[in-house]
Amino acid sequence: MSSSKVPPFDLDAARAQLRDTRGPRYWRSLEELADGEGFQAWLKAQFPQLAQDAPLDRRGFLKFIGASMALAGLTACSHPPQTELVPYVHGQDEWATGLPRYFATTLTRNGYAQGALVRSDEGRPTKVEGNPQHPASLGATDIFAQAAILQLWDPDRSQSVMRGDIVATWEDFAAEWLVLRARFDRNGGAGLRVLTRTLTSPTLAAQLEALQNKYPDARWHVHEPGGASLSRGMDASGLPRSVHYRFDRAKVILTLDADFLSDPAAGVRYSHDFISGRDPERGAMSRLYAVEPTPSVTGMMADHRLPLESARIHGFAQALAQRLGVANIGSTGGFVPSSDHARWLDAVAADLRSTQNASLIVAGFAQPPEAHALAHAMNVALGNVGNTIGFGAPIEALPAQALAPKANDDGSLRALASAMRVGLVDTLLVLDGNPVYDTSADLAIADALKHVPHLLHLGLYRDETGTLAEWHLPLAHALEAWGDARAFDGSASIAQPLIAPLYGGKSAIELMSLLLEGNFSDGRALVRQQSASQLRDDDAWNAALKSGVISNTAMTVTSVSPPFPRKRGSSDFHAIESNILDARLSRNDKALELLFRPDPAIGAGEWSNNGWLQELPKPLTQLTWDNVALISPDLAKRYKLNNGDVVELRSHGGKLHAPVWIMPGQATHSVTVHLGYGRTRAGHIGDGIGYNANALRTSDSPWQADDLQIVATGENCELATTQHHFNMEGRDLVRESTLSEYLRDPQSAVAHDKYGEKPPSLYPDYLKGEYAWGMSIDLNACIGCKACTIACQSENNIPVVGKDQVHRGREMHWIRVDHYYEGDAETPTMLSQPVPCMMCEHAPCELVCPVDATVHDSEGLNVQVYNRCVGTRFCSNNCPYKVRRFNFMQYADKQTPQYEAMRNPEVSVRRRGIMEKCTYCIQRIETAHIAADKESRRLRDGEVVTACQAVCPTRAIRFGDISDAQSQVSKAKASPRNYAMLAELGTRPRTTYLARIRNPNPALKDET
Amino acid sequence: MRVGPLSTRNAGAHKDGGLAQIFSRHFGFLFRLAALAALVIVTALILLWRAVMAYPAGVHDALEQPIPFSHKHHVGDDGIDCRYCHTSVERSAFAGIPPLSTCMTCHSQLYTDQPMLKPLIAAYESGVPFHWQRLHKLPDFVYFDHSIHIAKGVGCETCHGRVDEMPLMARVAPLTMQWCLDCHRAPQKYLRPHDQVFSMGWHAKDQLALGERLLREYHIDTRRLTDCSVCHR
Repeated sequence: MSSSKVPPFDLDAARAQLRDTRGPRYWRSLEELADGEGFQAWLKAQFPQLAQDAPLDRRGFLKFIGASMALAGLTACSHPPQTELVPYVHGQDEWATGLPRYFATTLTRNGYAQGALVRSDEGRPTKVEGNPQHPASLGATDIFAQAAILQLWDPDRSQSVMRGDIVATWEDFAAEWLVLRARFDRNGGAGLRVLTRTLTSPTLAAQLEALQNKYPDARWHVHEPGGASLSRGMDASGLPRSVHYRFDRAKVILTLDADFLSDPAAGVRYSHDFISGRDPERGAMSRLYAVEPTPSVTGMMADHRLPLESARIHGFAQALAQRLGVANIGSTGGFVPSSDHARWLDAVAADLRSTQNASLIVAGFAQPPEAHALAHAMNVALGNVGNTIGFGAPIEALPAQALAPKANDDGSLRALASAMRVGLVDTLLVLDGNPVYDTSADLAIADALKHVPHLLHLGLYRDETGTLAEWHLPLAHALEAWGDARAFDGSASIAQPLIAPLYGGKSAIELMSLLLEGNFSDGRALVRQQSASQLRDDDAWNAALKSGVISNTAMTVTSVSPPFPRKRGSSDFHAIESNILDARLSRNDKALELLFRPDPAIGAGEWSNNGWLQELPKPLTQLTWDNVALISPDLAKRYKLNNGDVVELRSHGGKLHAPVWIMPGQATHSVTVHLGYGRTRAGHIGDGIGYNANALRTSDSPWQADDLQIVATGENCELATTQHHFNMEGRDLVRESTLSEYLRDPQSAVAHDKYGEKPPSLYPDYLKGEYAWGMSIDLNACIGCKACTIACQSENNIPVVGKDQVHRGREMHWIRVDHYYEGDAETPTMLSQPVPCMMCEHAPCELVCPVDATVHDSEGLNVQVYNRCVGTRFCSNNCPYKVRRFNFMQYADKQTPQYEAMRNPEVSVRRRGIMEKCTYCIQRIETAHIAADKESRRLRDGEVVTACQAVCPTRAIRFGDISDAQSQVSKAKASPRNYAMLAELGTRPRTTYLARIRNPNPALKDET
Repeated sequence: MRVGPLSTRNAGAHKDGGLAQIFSRHFGFLFRLAALAALVIVTALILLWRAVMAYPAGVHDALEQPIPFSHKHHVGDDGIDCRYCHTSVERSAFAGIPPLSTCMTCHSQLYTDQPMLKPLIAAYESGVPFHWQRLHKLPDFVYFDHSIHIAKGVGCETCHGRVDEMPLMARVAPLTMQWCLDCHRAPQKYLRPHDQVFSMGWHAKDQLALGERLLREYHIDTRRLTDCSVCHR
């Protein structure tokens, strides 16, 4: 066996490869692109499906065989266990046991509401779906809403009130609070501080206001570790406003480091809107330009993407504003556009001007206020305000000091930290947060907390903050308690519990009722009371619960544009102090910037203990279970670094060790690190993996540091990426074309298919049934968010296997999302392709199964019969699409009762030695089939919705009966963009793809 | 010593005397004995395996229940419809075990002083239910649905037998895949008109003719009845 380390790649070889190719060439990793002999040898030796612990000799093999046969005999010796049936004591009306029920409720991400319909099987929440009536969902969800189910059932959640290290009760805490309260009643709350994350809950906001009224000297602070939503803006006086984007109306969109497709508050809705404005069938497609330092999901969808260091983006915006005729641009901070940049700027400016009032410029949360002001000024100049962008009242609730800052107190965590240090804080209540872990190192919160006599922590986990707290209080999960929240557009909705708190947790509003009134109030009564003005009677209340939205609560969107802040106090858009990268580069071309971003899969740390999210290959890098430092190929060459090489990052006097990952498309001088790793008290899943990037952050500039130095350590670290797995050996798998080409010749994208979808075959056609199930995946709509992977994991009881097993290529995801690059390593274009089972009509897997465990059913499904499977893995070897997954070990946890309760009862839990794969959600097909058959009618189009289809924010996946020409899926497959993967093999896949269409600017045609 | 010639002569004796006796005279007997022993051992192993692997309660075996509930009394004597207790049988995969409150609709008035009903009264009052011993249990990878079978005219009696004659409930069918397929391959042998699905002791005059007619009437797609995906997921 060769060493397990990926051989080093050679950038020059990669470039030479690209020079020598004609036409598009797609590649998945830099190593593959360089195509050194070492890589091919490595890939063959490591062919991950066949990786072994150690080579086995003949004698050892025979020993194992003998032992396993003996053990197999032993384990077979048992009869089925005698089971019991437990009747309910009181019957419940209209509740047939065995039938799932769905409840509309509200989950939150960074404080903002995400409407959800949650499935309940006999009282156990098992699956989250989007709520079609909720504006932030429209029926879809992101990965975090899907993973909320695993979070609910996480056995590592805090299970008891703790006083220090001693188990206590809520009554103990209530008694303690009464003592503290007596003091606050006397001194007006001096020394009492509350720390929350971003919150939009009307009930909690009203309670915090009541607390401030009751105790005028108490203070409330807000700290949001995950970054602000794009929907949060502010006006000239610094007062918050909500911003409403219409990506569906915009014809030309420019993002300045704004990853709007993964926005925490409205990413799902923005994705939907963005894609609905890009329909090549109608011939109308918006054009997206992205300027960003590190590739994002939004950058991947861009028609033109310009890698540019974060600190230069403001200068870029100034240069663009100049071309658009915005007055008083101010000094450009030394940004010197190269000739490429100038060409880009000219083309973008011309394109923006060419669309009347229908363009949109968005600046990202990590950009300084000046960049936002510039983006706004350009939107005003282009006439976009009132058309593609509008403004409304703020959605987040904010402390009084944040609106009118008092001396040294603007309601931030920094103000709180300094108050703690000078002994102004007697009692600090942390309402769902983990400031000890997720804050900048310079605040030294753990140290500051030593000056706080009473730290009260309400949290889902007894985390880094919880273990330091005098009182740790278990928080009820969002699916266990009543609550409310507002969406990005202001719509309020109610969160209703689906299950009683598993570990006696209480919600934030219940705890606040104790603080205010001295005893716990019922959460439902609190929410009902708060919404009484909108929901006057029981009917209105029940209707709001049923639909999941309180009607008519969205903010009024006005086109009155608030004058946004320019440079503090002046009317210019001057570059700010830190924006001097170009100046520094002119002195020293080794100047680097360090960017901090929430991890795309586990956020800023609140999802660290979630196995589904840890194992989800992160969009773009396809890494699992780790964070890295993303560097550009040029930088890697300069420092002679390879993937996995550990470097020391030094910034602001701090240093930490991080493995590097060479990211095609990364801006040359930018190094990106992700937050959320290096946890010490996250739980069994999240502890001790990765490094804590907060160690280098400063509270002045939380998203960017400009004095980075990197030093190679010579060490190397093994990273588990799935980018090399299930590689299909460079065959022609993705198709794309441009809009102008497509309109000229609709066949252009798929023209080089020699045989069409159905090459001649010697095999007989399968027996046709009443329906013929098929799927169509629109690569033009797929943004690569991977919500489908997590939804499938939740729906189909797919286990988590761990970093070591992923490293061996044994991840179990039934639908993977492949990631392809095209073009050179510095500025590649990227696209993603979801790959579920192709459900081949002539399935190669079926022919090689010695026990008929994989066979066709009459409706065209390629089914896997678990109880027949003996685990030869022949089928997987013979599958050209590499969609079959084998249980090399007992991955499904059958010991932990919480996981047993979490699983979908409609899907078998697979055991060791069994092959499994995508079933097109056969349980959903059967459920719908039975419902229709009972009424002796045909299944209606859209009656069967697969889990991946339901969750997709952009409706990229369509599923249905392909024998019905009027079905959605048939119409999709009738598109000239339709193609089958590896059609030339004659497998006749039922899953087909629609080619990606780009809409590049002809003026930038020569640029790659 | 003249070893050489002597050895040569001995070797020649064999040659001259023909083949040596490979099998002893008793071999036939020993062989039959061994074969018999093997047969006994194999049979014993098969019987042992079947005994170990069998369901805890076999076909026609009743199990001891916390209350000796008699279907014979409730169905046969009192004529209570199946659906009075098994309420979800027409809507859900699971026929439903009646909540204790269903029992109490009658038994809050009737036989309240009977000792055999004591567990029921106690459970109802305390709110902690007793546990019935389950008789019909399919493997976890089988997804049986009661409602579709009822809708397509499979009578309760076809699988559960004459429960109106069972003082204590017992299984009458082996619940093996072979047994399921017997009907899935030829449902016409068992189909009933909708109004006879819950009847006990009903017989068609000409089952096959009726079954063929009902197959068409119920729109049963026989092509997919033996698909793996119909029962296994």
